[in-house]
Amino acid sequence: MKDQERKLSDYIDRLNAEMMPEEDENSASSPELRELYRTVKQIRSLRETAMPGPDFPQKLARSVASGQLTRRSPDRKRQWSWLIGMVSAAALLALLITFVIPLGRDNVVSAMEKAYMEVGAYHGTLEVVETAANGESDMQAKWDVWADQAGHYYVKGLEGANRDIVTVNNGQSKWQIQPDREQVQIFPTLPDAYRFQFELGNEIQQAKQAQSVKVVGEETISGRKASVVEVTPKGGLPYRIWVDEQTNLPLRKQTAMQHAIQYTYTYSQIDFADAIPQALISYRLPDGFAEINTNPEQIANDLDEAQEIAGFRPLESKTVPSGYVQDRLAVVPDQGMTRIYYRDPSRNHQVMSQQSRAAGEFKPDSNALLGRTDGSPVEILSPVANDSSVSSIRWRQDGYEFKVAGDASLDDLAAFAQGLMSAPLEMPAVNKQTAEPQVKVPYDLDVEKGDQRNADAGSSPWKLDPVFVAQVFVSLQMSPGGISGDYPIAMKDLEVSDNDGTKAIVTVNNEKAPSKRVYLAKLVRQDASGIWTVVGYDPR
Amino acid sequence: MTSAEAKSIEEICTATWESLYRFVYFKVQNRQEAEDTTQETYVKAYSHLQSGKVAPDKYIAFLKTIALNLIRDSWRRKKRRGPSIDVESVDPAHFAVEDHTEESAQRQAVQEALAQLNEDQRTVIELRILKGYSVADTAKLMGKQEVAIRVIQHRALKQMASLLNPIRE
Repeated sequence: MKDQERKLSDYIDRLNAEMMPEEDENSASSPELRELYRTVKQIRSLRETAMPGPDFPQKLARSVASGQLTRRSPDRKRQWSWLIGMVSAAALLALLITFVIPLGRDNVVSAMEKAYMEVGAYHGTLEVVETAANGESDMQAKWDVWADQAGHYYVKGLEGANRDIVTVNNGQSKWQIQPDREQVQIFPTLPDAYRFQFELGNEIQQAKQAQSVKVVGEETISGRKASVVEVTPKGGLPYRIWVDEQTNLPLRKQTAMQHAIQYTYTYSQIDFADAIPQALISYRLPDGFAEINTNPEQIANDLDEAQEIAGFRPLESKTVPSGYVQDRLAVVPDQGMTRIYYRDPSRNHQVMSQQSRAAGEFKPDSNALLGRTDGSPVEILSPVANDSSVSSIRWRQDGYEFKVAGDASLDDLAAFAQGLMSAPLEMPAVNKQTAEPQVKVPYDLDVEKGDQRNADAGSSPWKLDPVFVAQVFVSLQMSPGGISGDYPIAMKDLEVSDNDGTKAIVTVNNEKAPSKRVYLAKLVRQDASGIWTVVGYDPR
Repeated sequence: MTSAEAKSIEEICTATWESLYRFVYFKVQNRQEAEDTTQETYVKAYSHLQSGKVAPDKYIAFLKTIALNLIRDSWRRKKRRGPSIDVESVDPAHFAVEDHTEESAQRQAVQEALAQLNEDQRTVIELRILKGYSVADTAKLMGKQEVAIRVIQHRALKQMASLLNPIRE
């Protein structure tokens, strides 16, 4: 009897999770269990139908068109694609040999990685086409693109809104030539919020981090044979890339249809070289053009000169990770700020160590992971908001504010930071003992997945901010009928007291609020693009 | 497959998927199986829909019949004996009846049977099956032990079974 009660409970749990049960009314061994399973389904039919994701009709049409079927087994161990019915055994074998065996998930990704490693630089014509839900397509832009593995690039607009505009980042400096205004704008190199879309290194990295990657067909793009690969990011909508069968590098990317718009990026032509030609990435002000310097840095020759301009002697990190050499020293005179740049020539990484006099309150970014040094908070952004390749570590000590930022690994940045700190750097970890809320808040993972997809499409960006999510939660506790006008609890009353990137605790400093602490977690995707969900609270 | 054919299957899917999916979900009561079965139904039915053997106004009824056969046969496939559905054998005269009588009659019967349970039993069924709470949460909400919830759940379902399916008793 106990066994039957347990099996029945497991069956209900499985359906509640919207998963196929291990056994059902047709397969259970005991007639009584079969009857009970059937009854559970009958009762459950009073519930609303749980509908599939918005991309389901398209996925359906695609899988039927390709005759390919993906069925998940109840134990989720078997996850290969299989074909039934229309495909003969011979065709199945041929298909297995062509696609599944040589180009399984790891094979596709590792083949792309390997091919990319061998490429010094690439040069292509990149076309961007926008397609509306009604099927109408429109060429948005055409670019002449040079890029290398180090993240340097030269991009020139050939068609579209940015026609004739040239943007270059050579690692040392970044500028944009704007012929219509006859001017050249100079920008700081770090962080670089510009970076063009469909940069091959990024694409391969994204495929590597995806939840699933599968080959779904074969097509010819720009006269080249390509495998069509469906990439499903964790908790995101699937998109497709076309991988050149000869070079093993992506040729085209088609985003998911979001807000009734889909983008297709295609290299209509691409070739490879050892490096980007020097002439393209060397700075030269064209005749008659004005230089608009939006990079307020002034190069200093040595520490004495920097001290003279900034008013203090900048501290040098005592622990420079191997491979790095000091590259240059700069001062931002307006802000009384010094910057020491380091470079790792072999890996093409750049790190900046910045120092200024501390002013005002130190308020870590609400999305930051929180570490500590000498009892004070350390803000860790990995990555920073506007450049996914750059991370930063920021803290205060002895009346100064320090920031170490760069496209290096977080470990390297932490080593730089540690070399500046007077006490050990404690990396973030949510304290296990305090991480358990007194009251757990139930959530529906399917709803969260839907919210994640919305956030991916640019809706509800506040769900990416743990303080905002906590503010809405506490406000709804105080005003269950809904919020009109200002939130009953202000942002300033909320403080992130722990954040390790996947779990966070927000402390509520307001006597009127019913909660003292709000516990949040990234349930769907555990990186910077993952949304936060309230999973519990401590009542006041 | 030509692009025109692919387009036409897309049109058929767009026009019919929701109705078919809801039908399948009603039978299987979980999204994973409903998605898989819906997909499998189209794969099986595709060549027949393309061949013109099925009139467009019978598409949904035809698809539901295939789906129903797939669901009934699912235990066989779970035991990896391979598919046994023969689309050829689906008799157009016996396509699934396309109305909601069965569904609404079942819902009515379930509501009536629920009303006949005692309060604890009804609460357990509501929390566990209709609201989807775990045994642990249901126990907390009702101030009972988890083991007691499983016992009440089992008894409640046995009673519901006898009320809903008296002939099988």
